[in-house]
Amino acid sequence: MTEQIPAVEFRHVDKHFGKLHVLRDINLSIMPGEVVVVIGPSGSGKSTLCRTVNRLETIDSGEIYIHGELLPEEGKALAAMRSKVGMVFQSFNLFAHKTVLDNVTMGPTQVLGVKKKEAEEQAMALLARVGVADQAKKVPAQLSGGQQQRVAIARSLAMRPEVMLFDEPTSALDPEMINEVLDVIVELAREGMTMMVVTHEMGFARRVADRVLFMADGVILEEATPDEFFSNPKTDRAREFLDSIAGH
Amino acid sequence: MRFIELLSTYGDMYVEAAFATWWMTAVSFIGAMILGLMVTVMRVCPIKPLRVVGDFYVQVFRNIPGISMLILVAYALPYLGLVLDWVPCVLVSAILICSAFASENFMSGINTVGVGQIEAARSLGLTFTQMMRLVIIPQALRSVVPPMTNLLIATMLTTAIASQVPVTPPELTGVVSYINTRMPYGVLAFIVPAATYLCTSLLIGYVGNKIDQRVRILR
Ligand SMILES: Nc1ncnc2c1ncn2[C@@H]1O[C@H](COP(=O)(O)OP(=O)(O)OP(=O)(O)O)[C@@H](O)[C@H]1O
Ligand SMILES: [Mg+2]
Repeated sequence: MTEQIPAVEFRHVDKHFGKLHVLRDINLSIMPGEVVVVIGPSGSGKSTLCRTVNRLETIDSGEIYIHGELLPEEGKALAAMRSKVGMVFQSFNLFAHKTVLDNVTMGPTQVLGVKKKEAEEQAMALLARVGVADQAKKVPAQLSGGQQQRVAIARSLAMRPEVMLFDEPTSALDPEMINEVLDVIVELAREGMTMMVVTHEMGFARRVADRVLFMADGVILEEATPDEFFSNPKTDRAREFLDSIAGH
Repeated sequence: MRFIELLSTYGDMYVEAAFATWWMTAVSFIGAMILGLMVTVMRVCPIKPLRVVGDFYVQVFRNIPGISMLILVAYALPYLGLVLDWVPCVLVSAILICSAFASENFMSGINTVGVGQIEAARSLGLTFTQMMRLVIIPQALRSVVPPMTNLLIATMLTTAIASQVPVTPPELTGVVSYINTRMPYGVLAFIVPAATYLCTSLLIGYVGNKIDQRVRILR
């Protein structure tokens, strides 16, 4: 049996913001096709963990590997690695001056060198897949939050990423739009996309996760299957956290 | 009517003066926009020394009065072996000063883009140059129309420094002294230039407004 190479691997990763120790000796492997959901209280370092994977945050020590390759520190090599890692933000971050279609084609045409016409066909297919094909000619400000986030997902998918990172993709959305975005992510998971998802949506976490990570104070306190974690959390911190959420 | 007499004697000169002001304004403004954009790219680039030089440039040229700049350019540059004619001296002075203000405008335009879109661009794997060219500069340009409209007016007023050196034909401010050294019209000689400055400003403001409405980014 051949050993599989992790899609993302953290080895002894540490990160500070000034005096604040936000990531403490993180060791983590995400295997190809795996969906890892990260939960934990506010300020525990979930976003930071997610953002170190494509080096939107630098790390102080340790190593991060993407498919066995050390994450480059800067320059063209880093840009090339980033193009293989999709990132979806809480605040969508669509390019405000571009149409929905141009948002999705920018990466493929500029980074991958795909011809414009081909990129547009692919983009339209992706927009159809996330259910916003009819909005292709509008600019982001003309779309609802849920639609914008689905466009942002399509924009990432257009790069044919090997890994997708989601940092609280539904936290900025009105409640009635949350499911339209979560459904897209669940569908991606079903298709075998490797994903790391930070979320406060516990039902969704249960549905989509192969593995749940519970973070507190920069440490991964628990790592378990969703069934194990939600029915039988091992640490007090996790139990308190789940109670506080259930209390809402 | 002394005013009619003034117009009939110097009418042609006023027209020439208006054109002199207009073309010097246009050249200075275009130069300031190009130089200002270059300085701005330096100020936001990942290379620290370039950022420092860019910031320093702006601090220096934003704080020199136009007339002092002209004196420096006219009398200091020859020491560096660069002798320019009067008109190029005026243009260089106006461009140096106005580019510093243009860069400040561009910086505020860049700040409207927001770190989120920059992170999205980096996540797609765009290089710094691609990100500037495709995401940041187009949005910065579209959001700076109102301040750049003001800068264009300020640039026009800056070209009045040409009145302090011998240029032919004289521009709108220079023509006043030109006339008054020959005939004692006094403040009367300034009416036509003042009206011309004012009308040009109003026109610039109107056109700037129209452009802004067209290119403004929906947010
Ligand atoms: N750029 C920064 N500079 C300084 N401190 C930061 C920065 N970004 C985050 N922090 C701090 O680091 C800690 C971890 O932040 P992080 O955003 O990773 O938390 P989080 O788990 O994602 O929280 P939330 O659920 O609120 O999103 C927090 O205490 C936060 O205040
Ligand atoms: Mg967060």
